[in-house]
Amino acid sequence: MYKGLIKGLSVIIGVVFLSFGALAQEGHPLKGSWIGEWSGNTTHGDFVLIVMDWNGEEVTGMINPGTDNMEIESVELDPTDWSVVISADGYTIDAMIENLELPSRALSGSWRSSNGRGDFEIVRQ
Amino acid sequence: MKRLSGIKIISTAIGIMITSLASAHHPIHGKFDPAEAMQLSGIVTKVDWRSPHVHIFLNVTNNNQPVNWAIELENPSILVDNGWKEDSLEPGAAIIVAGMRARDGSRQIWGDSVTLSDSGRQVYSVSSKAPAKPLTGRPVPRWPSDNKPALGAGPGGIGGIWSYPSEKALVEDGVNISMNEYGLLDNIDDAARVAPMQDWALARYVHRQQRQLQDDPTYLNCKPPGGPRQYQSDLGLQLIEDKKNERIFVLLGSGNRNYRLIYLDGRDPSGQVGGDDDNPLYYGRSTGNWEGDTLVVNTTGFNEDFWFTNGGLPHTNRLSMVEKFTRTDFDTLHYEVTIDDPGAYTRPWTASWELSWLGGKELPFSLCQHNRQ
Repeated sequence: MYKGLIKGLSVIIGVVFLSFGALAQEGHPLKGSWIGEWSGNTTHGDFVLIVMDWNGEEVTGMINPGTDNMEIESVELDPTDWSVVISADGYTIDAMIENLELPSRALSGSWRSSNGRGDFEIVRQ
Repeated sequence: MKRLSGIKIISTAIGIMITSLASAHHPIHGKFDPAEAMQLSGIVTKVDWRSPHVHIFLNVTNNNQPVNWAIELENPSILVDNGWKEDSLEPGAAIIVAGMRARDGSRQIWGDSVTLSDSGRQVYSVSSKAPAKPLTGRPVPRWPSDNKPALGAGPGGIGGIWSYPSEKALVEDGVNISMNEYGLLDNIDDAARVAPMQDWALARYVHRQQRQLQDDPTYLNCKPPGGPRQYQSDLGLQLIEDKKNERIFVLLGSGNRNYRLIYLDGRDPSGQVGGDDDNPLYYGRSTGNWEGDTLVVNTTGFNEDFWFTNGGLPHTNRLSMVEKFTRTDFDTLHYEVTIDDPGAYTRPWTASWELSWLGGKELPFSLCQHNRQ
């Protein structure tokens, strides 16, 4: 019941975010709020929100802030091919930045943890 | 390169050579592709003389049928500065136009050169060189109240603007790099020498360069030319000194006639003071003071929604700038900026250039109308 409520609220928040255009972001390409899916995730649901920031030395952030509050432990960005590896709370996300110069750029790839694996795609808001 | 019967299309190499003769400084690569050089021959049907860009409409014969093309040119004020008038080219004239085609495939090209077919004479050509200055430098005008240099016309002087920047894009002082008037590098291998960028910033700069600057938000979204970019516009700027209120207005000829404020009243350079809400925005929050005859301005509070220079060098919201304005003689303003952005660069770095005084000239009326997204 409680989990269902949280999930419902997350979806509503996501829909509200998605109803607005992405804010321009011409600085570090990972900075911002991202919304999308990690499909097949039976622990936290398919829907995922990620907030990331750049402090000049490292990318910090949180997965599902306000609900699951999974702090991002590390983000490795390889600017030679714009590949990204995100580690947080037992999850590893391997993704590529797509449409780099668009405010609504995407991170697309896969996720894995001890509980499963699946496709991953989030879009910057 | 597109193949169209009846339309001459010249090689990219020749096109690039012709492009180098032009002097447009607007971020036109968002709309026009420098890799799609082409040449058109036809009959002028109309000259649409209006801001922000003049257009020639041209009938080009294709398979014995007239096809209408639009030729986009500079702002009318720039053409006027170069001696041209609306009727310098009239309907019925046969012309040859060389330029670059619109990215969307529509029948539009940016006109790098317009030549009368019968005489070979160029019309609507533009020079990027500043007007000649007096052989003997005229003295700097000064305010009688404090004997500080005037950054504009000065007491009793006629109006004017600063224009014709000697550099068109940010490059660290002491580094010699060849690029065009839009900040597009002649050799992408020079990218790492432009400024001391962090890895991600260099990669993003190279990516923008390789895409021929087509993602420039100043064109795509009419974003203001914040940061040092406002001093690299061919439409010029005015520095209006409000002595009574201890502030300077920087009025911009480009970017939707925006303005920037520099406070000289000793206020805190960060946070909100007196209800103004000018940070964090495109021009940041600027406070300044005079050091001898040089105005030193500190600016922080930038957002990340724009390109702060032609050519696409990235910046972050950690950017702070120290600018130094020195009027070295009546007709010359030396501008120096030190960039300190630990979010995008490995160390602070400095760039500088000069602007020329155009006495008696007002800022052109130019409004960005692209706003395609």
